[in-house]
Amino acid sequence: MIRLRDVTYFYPRATTPALADVTLEIPAGQFCAVIGANGAGKSTLCYTLAGFVPHFYRGKLSGGVEVAGVDVPASSLAKLAGHVGLVFANPFNQITGARFSVREEIAFGLENMGVPLDEMEARVEDILGFAGLRDLAERSPFALSGGQQQRLAIASVLVMRPPVIVLDEPTSQLDPIGSKEVFAVLRDLAATDAATVVLAEQKLEWVAVFADRVLVLHEGRIVADGLPGDVLASADLTQYGLQPTRYTQVARAAQAAGFRADRHDLPVTLEEAVEFFR
Amino acid sequence: MSTSFSLYIPRESGMHRLHPLTKLALVAFCLVLGLFLPGVWLTYLVFLLIIVPLAAWAGVLPPFLRAAFKTALPVVISVFLVQGLFWPGGTPILHLGPLSLKQEGLQFAIRSAGRFITVVSSFLLLTFTTRPDGLMLALSQRGFPNSIAYIMLATMQIVPRFQAKANTILDAQRSRGLETEGNLLVRLRALLPLVQPLLLGSIVDIEERAIALEVRAFGRQGPKTSLLVLRDTPAQRVLRWLLLLGMLAVIGWRLYLAIAPRLAA
Amino acid sequence: MERLRRDFSTITLVMIPVAIAINIAIGQLVYTLKVPLYLDSIGTIFVAAVAGPFAGMLTGALTNLVWGLSGINSFYTAFWITGAIIGLVAGLFSRFGWFKVWWRAIIAGVITGLIAAMVSAPILTYVNGGVTGSGTDVITAVFRNAGLGILPSAFAQGVSSDPLDKAISFFIVWGVIRALPLRFLDRFSRAEDIR
Repeated sequence: MIRLRDVTYFYPRATTPALADVTLEIPAGQFCAVIGANGAGKSTLCYTLAGFVPHFYRGKLSGGVEVAGVDVPASSLAKLAGHVGLVFANPFNQITGARFSVREEIAFGLENMGVPLDEMEARVEDILGFAGLRDLAERSPFALSGGQQQRLAIASVLVMRPPVIVLDEPTSQLDPIGSKEVFAVLRDLAATDAATVVLAEQKLEWVAVFADRVLVLHEGRIVADGLPGDVLASADLTQYGLQPTRYTQVARAAQAAGFRADRHDLPVTLEEAVEFFR
Repeated sequence: MSTSFSLYIPRESGMHRLHPLTKLALVAFCLVLGLFLPGVWLTYLVFLLIIVPLAAWAGVLPPFLRAAFKTALPVVISVFLVQGLFWPGGTPILHLGPLSLKQEGLQFAIRSAGRFITVVSSFLLLTFTTRPDGLMLALSQRGFPNSIAYIMLATMQIVPRFQAKANTILDAQRSRGLETEGNLLVRLRALLPLVQPLLLGSIVDIEERAIALEVRAFGRQGPKTSLLVLRDTPAQRVLRWLLLLGMLAVIGWRLYLAIAPRLAA
Repeated sequence: MERLRRDFSTITLVMIPVAIAINIAIGQLVYTLKVPLYLDSIGTIFVAAVAGPFAGMLTGALTNLVWGLSGINSFYTAFWITGAIIGLVAGLFSRFGWFKVWWRAIIAGVITGLIAAMVSAPILTYVNGGVTGSGTDVITAVFRNAGLGILPSAFAQGVSSDPLDKAISFFIVWGVIRALPLRFLDRFSRAEDIR
């Protein structure tokens, strides 16, 4: 479904690559989390999957990028819209401003794709429910809280039914309540298996709960790739500028004190921690 | 704070239910009458007999009149003062100390005021009774570029945010001791630290907004659809053609009045 | 045609509403500070500089149309032609590199101001009876009293404020272009003309 082969990318005027020799395959329906410190290349990877590298940012891209059967560098942004959905950090900047209500804002992408009216109405109604926005449908998108706006941004992309959805730190500019709302929607999304999802995220505790797989990026390279339980509990995490989840940290401290020193599978979620300490 | 930069007032009126293009044609008709009717008094009739009744039909008359007076009053007062009192030469009809009211100036002022009031109130009538997105959709469906429709609608929603931002910056600078009162130079110097953050701060967001639009297939060619459905009737189509003919007739009449004396000579 | 397509890329289309909002927000701010200037075309001049005369024209015209049609200040609607001309002229100056040096930007502003006054005067005369309804009407009265016609008086009123106003606006835009990262300017079609 997603296939990257030896991808190296330089932003214009840059001398070091933002992505270096990235080779990656993500099968259809997988929920893949990408973690890494600031500047590790998470956003660049997201933009590459959605085609904004190289079509928007220009710069120098080598290697092959294939997403949902489309050769991304050979395609165009207009053609990729609807194939790959992208959600990013700032909720306010994702509101088009061209529509006056939440309902119409969600429909904007479908209008541009020329989806017939009755199908459009049904799909918008459906997504309003999924994202928990039904009560806000007639409100101005600008009159929403950050968390509500971000759910609106996700809904606006989901309604286009792209086979691949890319989210670049969707909660990094939200307060804890807003983050929780957004993660609830993402968990539901992970449960449906309707789309392949790539989520760049710093909040590892959430990643651990619903990702099928975790990639670690460091200085533009993939340095770890595996199941959340293995990657997130690995001792290497700190050397890539990442903090293990508090469950792993507590368990590691307990092991250092002699508790269950024989266990290698350290917990990364609350449930696993409960099991570990039982 | 209003979330949109527009005076549109939603109402369940016959005027509101008209197709946006019909309202646009009505307003354009009033505008053409205001700009091209000859004589001094006819434009006042357009205002009183067409524009005011339409505003009343739409159920927005009090706020409409308030807005019209607020805009027109300074210009109307000024035109009577400047052109009425300072008309070079002319026949004095009323002496006011060192100045005198001239007949020619008064006539010019009455004609100008009528024209200005008609033009301003025509625009206001459209604003008060027409959903901006409905109007843009109607125009897009007639081949008007989608990009301009986007610009108009996005602007209306961005302006209030920028005004709020501008005021925040102004307050912040003031609380930091920046002088915003005083002589001209002081006030001028206060401007730069206001302008810089407004402009530079917003420019960073532009890339992201462009990306968000592309994600939503904004750049896609081909037919588009719309969640908003506009109702049109055969009667309204006929009315629009009649209004167009009316506009041409008024412009033709005015041209004839301008050219006829020269042809006769 | 291809040039036009490049001028009106998505990033320019997104820039234009922001530029219009800047025009209006700063215009209203200046009004509240009671500075005898308008400074309501800084956004227009910026778009003209980075994306060319056509994008500048559109920004200028739509500023007046949106400002006027919003009902906030209907007075402005008829002056959409002036707004368009300011964008056009600023775009042409940018085309020939006049935004690269500060004093050239100021001269370009003065010339643009004179042209703006020339375009506004007939509109002012026909639609507004030769007055603006603001303080500068005193100048019109002085010229009328001296025996000047309505159109020349309206023009004289424009000359008393527009060239200074546009000179300051052009200078501000020159400063903003200096302050912006090249990475951002590179997104626009006319980046090579301004830095």
